[in-house]
Amino acid sequence: MIPQLVTVRYRRSSGRRRRLYVPVVPVLLVLSPLLLLAVLGGVIACLATRVSPVGALRGAGRLLWALPGTRFEFEEGRTALLISVR
Amino acid sequence: MNEQRRQILEMLADGKITADEAERLIDALERQQPESPPGAVSRPKPRPKYLRVVMNSSETYGDGPTRLNIRVPLQLLRAGVRLTSLIPPQALTKINQQLDKSGVPIDLTELRPQHLEDLVEQLDEVTIDIDDPDSQMQVFCE
Repeated sequence: MIPQLVTVRYRRSSGRRRRLYVPVVPVLLVLSPLLLLAVLGGVIACLATRVSPVGALRGAGRLLWALPGTRFEFEEGRTALLISVR
Repeated sequence: MNEQRRQILEMLADGKITADEAERLIDALERQQPESPPGAVSRPKPRPKYLRVVMNSSETYGDGPTRLNIRVPLQLLRAGVRLTSLIPPQALTKINQQLDKSGVPIDLTELRPQHLEDLVEQLDEVTIDIDDPDSQMQVFCE
């Protein structure tokens, strides 16, 4: 399934905390014109480097679909970063 | 009904043992071979879905101890590995030349996506534990 929500949390050494909840589908919809341009750019880059554009798109899709469940947590003293994909 | 239980009941019917003794024998039999509920099939161990990397270090490079906790879906590793099949042969040749120059004579053209997928498949069983006086690291699948 495509990722639904990306959560980014960080804490600076000063103790300041920030939380970001990114709903993926609405953001993709809003950025769809840019996304279309990026896909076109990617296809041209694939053709220039003799990489199969269909294979590249399929591979990128697989990566996107496999992302849910990914979690990255890093903490060093008072600094912390959490990225979670659901 | 299994054979041993039938034998106990036959002995009871023949009067060779009392009802009390039969009950005790059946109890002992059940303790020895716990019955699985009807229709239950022995399920294989569920396959791990995530690769976990956990590190705790008390060494202070910055302003305190370091802690790292990464969870990567194995499916993501498989998807990434499949992307390697997209690398054009001329790029692989260049990479091989550079690896050779650096003293790492590995021929990447011999590395097939199937080999890498087999490697990811076998990650299920991997457990790495590194215990250092100042830090601990664990790599495992769950």
